[in-house]
Amino acid sequence: MNEVRPPDPTWQMKVYPIFTALGWILVIVSFTIGLFVLAPTAVDYWGRNAKSVRDAANVGSQLLADLGTLAVTPRWLVPLTFLGVASFMVGIALQFSTIPGILKNRGVVMSACFPLIVRYGK
Amino acid sequence: MTEEKAPFPFNMIEGMMPAYPMIAFMGWAFVLIALLVGIFTLSPAQSTFFSDAKAVREGAAAGSAFVEANITRHVIEAWVPQFKFLGLGLGLMGITMALGMIAKRLRRMGQVIVSHFPDDFPAPIPPIPTRVRVFQLSAVMGIMVMLAALIVGIGLATGVVPDYFNNSIANELNPAGPGSALLSQLSIISSYAFWLNPLRMIGMSFLFTAITIALTVIIGTLITQAKMLSRFYAQTSARAAA
Repeated sequence: MNEVRPPDPTWQMKVYPIFTALGWILVIVSFTIGLFVLAPTAVDYWGRNAKSVRDAANVGSQLLADLGTLAVTPRWLVPLTFLGVASFMVGIALQFSTIPGILKNRGVVMSACFPLIVRYGK
Repeated sequence: MTEEKAPFPFNMIEGMMPAYPMIAFMGWAFVLIALLVGIFTLSPAQSTFFSDAKAVREGAAAGSAFVEANITRHVIEAWVPQFKFLGLGLGLMGITMALGMIAKRLRRMGQVIVSHFPDDFPAPIPPIPTRVRVFQLSAVMGIMVMLAALIVGIGLATGVVPDYFNNSIANELNPAGPGSALLSQLSIISSYAFWLNPLRMIGMSFLFTAITIALTVIIGTLITQAKMLSRFYAQTSARAAA
């Protein structure tokens, strides 16, 4: 019979908080950039300039730079947000991966303890 | 063995936990509705709007089929994504509730086993960890954030968005100058997605965190029970050998 002891600590239980924290960091960064960079830039670009002025913006102008920011930033920011979501999922998967080992240990421990509970228990 | 009653408001949350299949199915239904709206309302509106040349669709006046289609496609895109993500959030909340049920049953199972231990083996049941309340609150917070995002989306879809797009593109929207009501409406319409979409993700993050913490409760309970059983085995088998 295997030695009756609790399950050994697993590396997954040390690593999963890193992924959970990473998930939060990436989502908060995305929200912060969206709220404090992209939204004000969009308000400035579309809300303060007529279409004819926006369309006539020349190279080197602030308007064209704003348009660049609005066109380019979401292309990497949105995937970054989803990377945060994926990080949460990896953390959850790591936690789940420890459960089969814990339950296997539970089987060993319970099969050792049952006869003693029956003999000495209430 | 008496059932432990949680304090208010956690007793209400725990009272809802057995309904997790219904909550998960409701979430699925929300996403299905978003799909059906996309197929039967948004797609036809897009199709109608892009059915003619740019000069024709942009020159169409308010009340025309093109302007109505333009309103419809923008209104749907204001509220349906928030509704869809609320559906996903309800699914995640169903998972959290199911994990909470598992944690409760494990605790109950531990109480049953301990009740059969001999009197000379002290086996106090640990108090319910604070993490349980944290994950319950995290799940509620996540759903509240996603509901808030939906309310904002509905507010936009019934206010600024239809008001703005109920105008001829070429004759009213494009010529709008700085300081005009139209341009300030455009500033809202063009900027809300940049913060509202990540806000939905913050709601999802609260729900994922709730699942994570619920799993630490389950794993912690399993390990605590294993330690108690191992201690019982060591003590009782020593007595048996003596």
